[in-house]
Amino acid sequence: MPAEAEPDTDIEVERRFALVRERYGDRLTPAQLDEVRTGVQGIVQTARALRAVRLENSDEPMQPFMPYRADP
Amino acid sequence: MSESPVFLPVRRLAGLVRSRAVSPVALAETFLDRLETLGPTYNAVVTVTRERAMAQARRAEQEIAAGRYRGPLHGIPYGAKDLLATSGGIPTTWGAAPLREQRFDFDATVIRKLEEAGAVLCAKLAMVELAGGMGYRQPHASFTGPGINPWNPGAWSGGSSSGSGSAVAAGLVPFAIGSETWGSILSPAGFCGIAGLRPSYGRVSRHGAMALCWTLDKLGPLCLAAEDCGLVLEAIAGTDPADPTTADRPWSYEGADVAGRRFRFGVIKGVAIGCEEAVRANFERSLETLRAIGTVEEVELPELPWEAITRTILHVEAASAFEDFIESGKIAELTAPEDHYTPYARDAILAKDYVKALRLRGVMAREADRVLSRFDALVGPGRAAVAPGLEQEFRSAIRGSVPDLMGAIGNGAGLPAVCVPNGFSDRGLPTSLQFMGRVYEENAVLAAARAWQSLTDWHRQHPAVDQPA
Repeated sequence: MPAEAEPDTDIEVERRFALVRERYGDRLTPAQLDEVRTGVQGIVQTARALRAVRLENSDEPMQPFMPYRADP
Repeated sequence: MSESPVFLPVRRLAGLVRSRAVSPVALAETFLDRLETLGPTYNAVVTVTRERAMAQARRAEQEIAAGRYRGPLHGIPYGAKDLLATSGGIPTTWGAAPLREQRFDFDATVIRKLEEAGAVLCAKLAMVELAGGMGYRQPHASFTGPGINPWNPGAWSGGSSSGSGSAVAAGLVPFAIGSETWGSILSPAGFCGIAGLRPSYGRVSRHGAMALCWTLDKLGPLCLAAEDCGLVLEAIAGTDPADPTTADRPWSYEGADVAGRRFRFGVIKGVAIGCEEAVRANFERSLETLRAIGTVEEVELPELPWEAITRTILHVEAASAFEDFIESGKIAELTAPEDHYTPYARDAILAKDYVKALRLRGVMAREADRVLSRFDALVGPGRAAVAPGLEQEFRSAIRGSVPDLMGAIGNGAGLPAVCVPNGFSDRGLPTSLQFMGRVYEENAVLAAARAWQSLTDWHRQHPAVDQPA
């Protein structure tokens, strides 16, 4: 039976943290994993700040792509 | 020459070299000796490049004697942050213990341009490992030790261009080259009480420089005064086929007399909120001084997640630039304990959020330009705090623990800024002022900083440094 989620558990943080733990958990100590979880919390907060801004369909990424062709 | 060349600005040294009152060889020997004897006191140096320096100095001396004067950097010693590739078997360590034997067989474009200008490379200077991109949060983050502040040996010199800041402030070199992704020129300049210029993105080629974030990295000078930053930038600016992000906009330094010139300064509403008291108080006093040479108008920016935009781009690009280093677990060999695990969290950033940051970056750039178009410069504190103690965990805008609106906008939108000293804290540590301008308007921010320095003498005060440890 799965453990009941803590009332203040942030599912998005936990899901993203689970991915990081799956990839790198075997090389990190419990204390380091706690720090990584804190880092993921910051990343989720940052992402939410970005998502809170509405953009127009025409607002393109400011990242110019240039097609390439070798001479000639 | 009876006057010591130490702490003389580049413009003054250049006059002495050109008139042959001082020999480039003697000048190089003076600064090489200081780098060797005093460099360790500040953990400022990775490699003293004596052999290369003496060869360059002898060539400069011969050329000047023959009447072939190249310009104001001819025969002037300098140091380069140790993320710039140098040929000739000189290590380029990126400040990282696992890379302490790394060598390149070519010179970075900036190193080559400075050689063409006749400057004399005397040292590769210490830096925070991998330019701080792994998320360090205290000064012990370089295999050369924490950068030590010439104003107080218990305080940090800033980062990530730690040695570039302390070496100039301690008179170990007349100027240095640093790099900034977010704060790495302005921080050591501010903490060490010198001038640091972050040029516009694309103004200076990064070919041969360690890449941390391809769309944020800039190279620029750290000097004793704003005037010198203009002289150095002129030598290193310009388009470079090896770095396609360089702007095809020729640039020359307009070092005209600023006496009598009136400026339009903007101050972002609330820009000093969250700053240390000494920083805030000195900033308020600085605004009073600036009103003598222009108008000072408070401006409001629209509500945007400015710091989140730049932070997301930085985290993603740094994670990608060092993907192999991180995924191989090589980061466990770095000096700062927090660098051993912090980057792993960045795998949790979603591609959609990154693209949102890139889309918002366009909004940021347009809003910044709209505001800046009304001013010669926005002014603000160079740093929110004075230099932290060597054993102190510091707050960082990149981690989100302290606001840095001007840093987020300036780096996210690729805008030029110059940082100059504007006083001291009650602990005798420098505080600083920054002038940030429209993209490609380095001359405007340098003129404002020169005007500031014509009214003040903070840049003429130097720490007592001539006692080796």
